[in-house]
Amino acid sequence: MGQGKSQFTEEELQDYEDLTYFTKKEVLFAHQKFKALAPEKVGHNKNAKLPMAKILQYPELRVNPFRDRICKVFSSSNDGDCTFEDFLDMMSVFSEMAPKAVKAEHAFRIFDFDGDDMIGVSDLREVIERLCGPDLKLSDSEIQQLVQNVLEEADLDDDGALSFAEFEHIIDKSSDFCHSFRIRL
Amino acid sequence: MENELEELERPSSVRRTFTLRNSAARQVAVNFMPSRQLSFNTLRLRRTTTEHNALLEDAVSAPDEVDAEKRAELIVREMEQHQRLMENNPEAEELRREALRDLPQGLTMKRNVRAKLSASVSLRSRQRPISFMKRMKYRISFAFKRLQDRFRDLTFSIELWYEAIRNIEGHFGSSVGSYFYFLRWLFALDLALCMLLLAFVIVPQTLYNSHQNTTLERSFVDLIAGKGLFEDSILFYGHYQSGDASGAGQPYYMPYAYFFTMVCLYLTFFGALCYRTAYSYRRNFIETAGGVSHLFANKVFCGWDFNIITPQAAALNAASIYNEFKELLNEQNKNSPSASYWTRVMRCSTNIAVTTLVLGTIASLEYGLWLLLDTEPSLPRWELIVSLILCSVLAVLPIIFGVIVRLEYYEPRTALYVTLARTWLLDIGTLLLLLVYWSHSNLPCWETALGQETYRLVLLDALISLFLLPLLEFCRALVYKLNPKSSPPEFNVAYNSLTIIYNQTVLWFGMIFSPLLAVAVTLKFLLLFYVKRECARRACQPARKVWRAAQTQTVFYMLVTLSLFAALFGLGSLFLRSSSHSCGPFRAYENVYSVVTEGVLGLARRPTLQRALAFLTRPGVIGSLLLALCVAVYYMRARARAQQSMVRMLRQMLLLQAKDKDFLLAAISKVSNGEWLYSPRTPTEGPDSHTWKYLQEVRKPSNAEFHFDASRLSHSLMEGRPRSLAMETRTQSYHERRSNDGDTDSSFSWQGSSNCLNQGEEAKKRWF
Repeated sequence: MGQGKSQFTEEELQDYEDLTYFTKKEVLFAHQKFKALAPEKVGHNKNAKLPMAKILQYPELRVNPFRDRICKVFSSSNDGDCTFEDFLDMMSVFSEMAPKAVKAEHAFRIFDFDGDDMIGVSDLREVIERLCGPDLKLSDSEIQQLVQNVLEEADLDDDGALSFAEFEHIIDKSSDFCHSFRIRL
Repeated sequence: MENELEELERPSSVRRTFTLRNSAARQVAVNFMPSRQLSFNTLRLRRTTTEHNALLEDAVSAPDEVDAEKRAELIVREMEQHQRLMENNPEAEELRREALRDLPQGLTMKRNVRAKLSASVSLRSRQRPISFMKRMKYRISFAFKRLQDRFRDLTFSIELWYEAIRNIEGHFGSSVGSYFYFLRWLFALDLALCMLLLAFVIVPQTLYNSHQNTTLERSFVDLIAGKGLFEDSILFYGHYQSGDASGAGQPYYMPYAYFFTMVCLYLTFFGALCYRTAYSYRRNFIETAGGVSHLFANKVFCGWDFNIITPQAAALNAASIYNEFKELLNEQNKNSPSASYWTRVMRCSTNIAVTTLVLGTIASLEYGLWLLLDTEPSLPRWELIVSLILCSVLAVLPIIFGVIVRLEYYEPRTALYVTLARTWLLDIGTLLLLLVYWSHSNLPCWETALGQETYRLVLLDALISLFLLPLLEFCRALVYKLNPKSSPPEFNVAYNSLTIIYNQTVLWFGMIFSPLLAVAVTLKFLLLFYVKRECARRACQPARKVWRAAQTQTVFYMLVTLSLFAALFGLGSLFLRSSSHSCGPFRAYENVYSVVTEGVLGLARRPTLQRALAFLTRPGVIGSLLLALCVAVYYMRARARAQQSMVRMLRQMLLLQAKDKDFLLAAISKVSNGEWLYSPRTPTEGPDSHTWKYLQEVRKPSNAEFHFDASRLSHSLMEGRPRSLAMETRTQSYHERRSNDGDTDSSFSWQGSSNCLNQGEEAKKRWF
């Protein structure tokens, strides 16, 4: 960690500690991990912007079916490329200390593929397809039925899409969400 | 205004199509609904900001930085609405910090907002000298906060096995990970226990012993059996000094040390465990209980385990999700006829029969154990053989229970809980039996004998769980390697967790009779971690079925807590009766509790205190205390029930509110489309009518911004007012809207919700 320390001033660390769910040590640890993705680039500039392909080298993201969405949601330039601050932000939201509501907010954005602030039928189809992986394919009618069931359960106002409030309601009632929506540093 | 009631009546199908149109306007409207304006909804800021943008400017024209600047401005303005957030004191500062942290925005935005916010705060606050007390309070709270942060920093840097567990989680998913977290947690707990016992009990005694210059010859079998020369060593209760144990210098009174260390440890850990269990229970059972179940939605949104890092595990996870979807759909399509009466009776009776059988087995086992303990030793090392039998029975039976439960008709999760409960019953029953057996034996020092028994159990179980079971697992892995068609060995989280719960239970029971047991168990957990890690890594395959860990984890915590409770109960009732007079630290006292009554309080010398205590422990006093407790419990229960019914009511209201929202949105989208201007009634009214003016001049679509700004203003005004007044305005504004867009088919929801609020009556009077 001595290496990482030289790149940050005490004020910067305090700043990160104030704005994320991490302590200073954890911020430094996160930076180490970030640096491991592109050692020479981050060595020159601690807040270097790494392309999405590099960020996806991170073990947990590499196999995640929503990897590109995660990068896009947290990227400050909205194209999937992440600076260290974006990366820190991502890890902070996925950390254990982040409350359910914050996690739900970001999960909603990740699942909202078309960005219309609603999880509609097309978003749900996309989520289900990605969950089953590239090899296994559910038939079209099965997916249709699954989507129908999800909407029946959760779409309280019958408008054919899940608004954030409805999504949050599901998450609120799920004991597994915090357990699964988590990436350890 | 009443005329407009009819103007908007349209069939609901038409309404639906309107709902889907013009989503920008409806989002704006949603944000101005009272429920969005109240309370701390900084979380909603993202949404509000995007919609404000849509409202305030054309999204295309604004360049990026200006856009960000404006968004930050909006967030700050939103935050300024909350009085409590904007005060200039540490408490508000902490609140601001938390609000900023919870803001779903990037770091740059957060920083921007923070700068603006602190400028705004310093602008608002008037410099007032604060009192000494307040200054002290703030200083203390600051120091406490800093200490907390430091502590978190420290725990992160000394966090044990961080990478190891993370790795396992990545390979096997979070359920296997949770076993290792549980193991680590128990290890940390026992380590603390160990330290305290060593510091206050064991080391003083050892120091005392070193003055005595006794040398012991040791043999290995004696070490395992705890017999021979080990019988009278610091391993066991009987050896501990009953008086001063300092040798020279400052006096160190052993009975006090022993008694108070034990009592403190048991009670502290009981408290800590209760807290931990209650926390876990609240999070995983209560907060998520009730209401509609989201079976499908849960699978879709919480299905992926984000911890996974290997492609193999990812593929398995995807496959298991795929299978679960298939199963769910199959179940739904099958529309299975509900089981007939006789099938249900059959199932029920099978369950009862099997449960009786299992309970019978446990009872007969306990009886057999009693007989076994009672037989005259015919072989050398008899006690070792008894312990070995006991150990193997306790190791094998849970596996058999796991098989038996498949004969019964339970849901998979219930089956797991049933097996856990049965195994736990067996463990606790055995330990309680040992306790009773040895305390009723006529040995001069039965405490030491009991200590030896638990000591042997721990050591022999180490043999089984550290060598035998891993060996078996590796054998299974080998079989799988040679014959890949056989079922792959998976990591059995339930069985492994039960093993460590059992060990912890033995520790709770035996700690007081054999203080060094804590050290033994701690060491064992340490070894177990490495052994199990290797087992998992080399011999196990990732599970093919996703195993949801959150609730089961709570059950494990609960079992540990219950074990401690049972141990406390058993030990407490034992120590109230008698203790050995020939050995142990309390041999000078009549009872164990007379350490307090005689030793510390010196009741014999203080007759008034004795009389007071005697009065306090009279049946009448205790009885009335119990009665008071009962009343308190009853009161709490009544309150809980009242709150439950309140929750039900609120839940219903939530559903009604959702319908209201839908209805309102439909109406609003009509308004913003200018729909209602073309209603058939309008021409009948001349330009002099107030309604006409209102519609034509005030509610013109081009005036939309002013209109919304005005309503926004009224809300910000509302917050400055006393709460009761604000509530009244709120109901009023609800009804205002109602009159605007009265649609008969959903009028029931208005009635319903205002009844729930109990404010409907006067409001109604105002309108009818």
